[in-house]
Amino acid sequence: MKRVWSGLVLTAGLSLQATMALAATQEEVDAIVKELDERQRNSGDYKALCYIEQKEKDKNDLVYQAVYYRRDDDDKFMILFLKPKSEAGKGYLRLDKNLFMYDPTVGKWERRTERERLLGTDSRRGDFDESRLHEEYNTTWVGEEKLGKFAVHHLKLKAKPGEDVAYPLVELWVDKATNNMLKRQDYALSERLMRTTYYPKWKKVYSESKKAEVYYPEEIRFFDEVEKGNRTTVVISEVDLHPLDPNLFTKAWLESKSR
Amino acid sequence: MRGLDQLRLLWTLSLRSLYSHWFKSLIVGSIMAFGTFLVVLGTAFIDTIERAMAQSITASLAGHLQIYSAKAKDELALYGGQFMGSEDIGRIDDFSQLQAALQDVPGIKAVVPMGIDMATISSPGELERALGSLRTAIRQEQPSLIPALKSQVREILTQMKAEQERSESITDDKEKLKETIALLAGVITDEFWAAFDADPLGKLEFLDTKVAPLAEEGKLIYFRYLGTDLPHFQENFDRFQIVSGEMVPPNQRGFMFNNKFYEEWVKNVCAKNIDTLAKSIFDKGETIEGSATLQALVRQTARQYRRITYHLDAPESAALEAELKKLLPEVQGGLPELLQGFLTFTDQNFKERHTFFYERIAPLIDLYDVHIGDTISITAFTRSGFLKAVNVKLYGTFTFKGLDKSDLAGDHSLMDILTFRELYGLMSEDKKQELAAIKGEVGVKDVAADAAEEALFGEASDAAPVEVKRPASFDEFAGLDLTQERERMKALQAAGFKQDDIDHGLALNAAVVLEQPEQMWSDKTAIEAALKKAGLDLKVVDWQSAAGLVGQFILVIKGVLYIAIFIIFLVALVIINNSMIMATMERVTEIGTMRAIGAQRTMVLAMFLVETTVLGFLAGTGGAAFASLVVKLLATNGVPAPSPELVFLFGGPRLFPELAASNLLLGAVIIVFVSLASTFYPAFLAAQIQPVVAMGQKE
Repeated sequence: MKRVWSGLVLTAGLSLQATMALAATQEEVDAIVKELDERQRNSGDYKALCYIEQKEKDKNDLVYQAVYYRRDDDDKFMILFLKPKSEAGKGYLRLDKNLFMYDPTVGKWERRTERERLLGTDSRRGDFDESRLHEEYNTTWVGEEKLGKFAVHHLKLKAKPGEDVAYPLVELWVDKATNNMLKRQDYALSERLMRTTYYPKWKKVYSESKKAEVYYPEEIRFFDEVEKGNRTTVVISEVDLHPLDPNLFTKAWLESKSR
Repeated sequence: MRGLDQLRLLWTLSLRSLYSHWFKSLIVGSIMAFGTFLVVLGTAFIDTIERAMAQSITASLAGHLQIYSAKAKDELALYGGQFMGSEDIGRIDDFSQLQAALQDVPGIKAVVPMGIDMATISSPGELERALGSLRTAIRQEQPSLIPALKSQVREILTQMKAEQERSESITDDKEKLKETIALLAGVITDEFWAAFDADPLGKLEFLDTKVAPLAEEGKLIYFRYLGTDLPHFQENFDRFQIVSGEMVPPNQRGFMFNNKFYEEWVKNVCAKNIDTLAKSIFDKGETIEGSATLQALVRQTARQYRRITYHLDAPESAALEAELKKLLPEVQGGLPELLQGFLTFTDQNFKERHTFFYERIAPLIDLYDVHIGDTISITAFTRSGFLKAVNVKLYGTFTFKGLDKSDLAGDHSLMDILTFRELYGLMSEDKKQELAAIKGEVGVKDVAADAAEEALFGEASDAAPVEVKRPASFDEFAGLDLTQERERMKALQAAGFKQDDIDHGLALNAAVVLEQPEQMWSDKTAIEAALKKAGLDLKVVDWQSAAGLVGQFILVIKGVLYIAIFIIFLVALVIINNSMIMATMERVTEIGTMRAIGAQRTMVLAMFLVETTVLGFLAGTGGAAFASLVVKLLATNGVPAPSPELVFLFGGPRLFPELAASNLLLGAVIIVFVSLASTFYPAFLAAQIQPVVAMGQKE
């Protein structure tokens, strides 16, 4: 009996020790999120070529090729659709906190919100733009988990008051070994799960302007949790960190591409 | 002669019996009369409604018959079914094949191609609208428009600043408010506007990105529309009537708003609310004081004063302020306070202010978000899945005669069928190949949601980032021409089209208008045979089925009426039956005596049956006469439709019921049947009475 009690006390002690070792402090949690933002940020310009494939239940698969541009220092973003022909020239421009959409076939700009599904796909502007998780959300640590074969930090993020974000509640699973985000779940304010996203492949490229490496997900897979079965895959095929045209982030520039 | 004597005897006996049991006869007769009244009046009403609804549906949208794909997943529902306008009714790939198949079928007046779908137009807020107009004027070098638009933008910004200042006492974040006021103060200065001309697009971008988010958001207007061969539609649907503007010219692309929709969803909200108040007060005789709904509407209208102030430039604001000060000397403050005071209507001031609004204020503001003659951008999700927007000219508004107040008839706007086809956007073979080629370039493997974690993060996966060598610059535009779609759309809008283009193309359904609607069922059979002969896999439905839930509504009304009639006559049957059994018991001696002096059983049976038939005849005649009188009285002025839904069923604002011989005949048949059915058993019992038993009972 004495041996059983000794065993229980030992097990409890070890568990407590393990829990204490695993629990991350708020500073450590913030550091994880800051690191996610920082490694994806480029202090200069950023251009990437991507493919977006949308699959919806009982509908045709849709495929787009697009190029997106970022000027992280000025918080500017633009995505311009290149293919198919019918979609070529359509684009979104983010200036400050404004998101505008342009359709060359009617020659009109419209103001859109952060919740806009880009051309009806499951992707949002924020999925392509610079990561601003630390700026937009407060983070708490949930625990350590396994995601497939990877040991991951499970984090919960809540939007800061006044931040215009696509989803007010987010959960992240960050690889402990590489600090790459592997999984993200987006929730509505009602805590209804809206979307699950996986980032299975990451790449890094050296940036002259940042004097450090810039990380980007080579593949992003969005799964719609409301319309089950709908999914969007984004593949980033090329990244270019050379300086962009100074006047690129203007309505006039985007319009000029389809004139 | 013997038969006639017998009949006379039966008649006398039945009258005598009815008279001697007058109280029972009165009760039973009243039930029969009420039942007959209900049958005659109810069926007269239903028949009239059915005719009126047939007119509403066939002459406005459906024609007499509708043809659509036999493979359709859902049933055609022109006025919306259970899928709220997203029904999948398949398609007719080449309308000309249908035309060819039906050209030799006699009795067809016209076959009109159709397609119904949903679309949106976006309507920006006032500041964005004014900035957009200013940008267009600058880009298109229209200097005459620029000063007024600049003045309007500046006036809106001035009012926004004043509103922010007024909100100081209720704002928690004083620091942010201070920044906002400072920002607005900066963009209404003379310096800002003096520098505007030097860099107009730069200044506009500043206003667009820094100031416009502070203003109210615009709105997205969803609407249902019918794409069709517009000239043929106008020619064959005789309720179609233009309200304002003009018909889309033949062989031109164009759009027409249904006037009811245009007035309710596209009109300035203050003007729309004033119209609603005017209808309630002037047409229906309601009062603001007596209606909580109207009071709420008045409060809402007063809060919407910016829908007026934001439309005015500085001189217009000053002039209106001066006029309102004269009208409302008791109101302190500037234009916002004066307008709020003005829009706070009472029963006493409404008439005067309604006139003032339309004479003095309406000419200064945009009464509608889009105007007749404007080119509007209509957006829809195509069947291929892509989002599609087209520019199309708004030529006018229309209504269906007599149905202008009906929500159902006001639900569909009209568009030429070529624009409809653009928005419907089938996936073409070329596009399929183009998408397949893009997909091939990427070669990404599909992963389903439930297998994603195993597939992406299983043993074979690697989360370590792969280092990419410093990439060379790439040219995203190499080999691409982004102008093609824009140029194609521009060319389409500029060019007209031919009747052949309308006929040789897609339609979702087709309306068949018949020469003689009363031959609809035989014509339907002939059309079905012709379609079968031509090998077209299409089905034909009558207008009532095609209307969807609306068409079934008349069946529901009929069902309710017939159930009510059935219950009433069932009650009558039971009461008559009981009364007659009791009467039989009371008349055992009488019947026994009759049988003793030679009356046959059939005579007794006939006596009872004739007695009830006479009562039924008298009660039925009374009930039918009263129902005829009521129908005649109601037909003099018509029965007003109490709601917009009933305007559609009534075929107009009033229903004029008509009595047909069939209504009286039905009443007669039912009353005779009920009379005989309820009397047969008591009469049978009476006929079984033995004279000996009857005599014995007496002793």
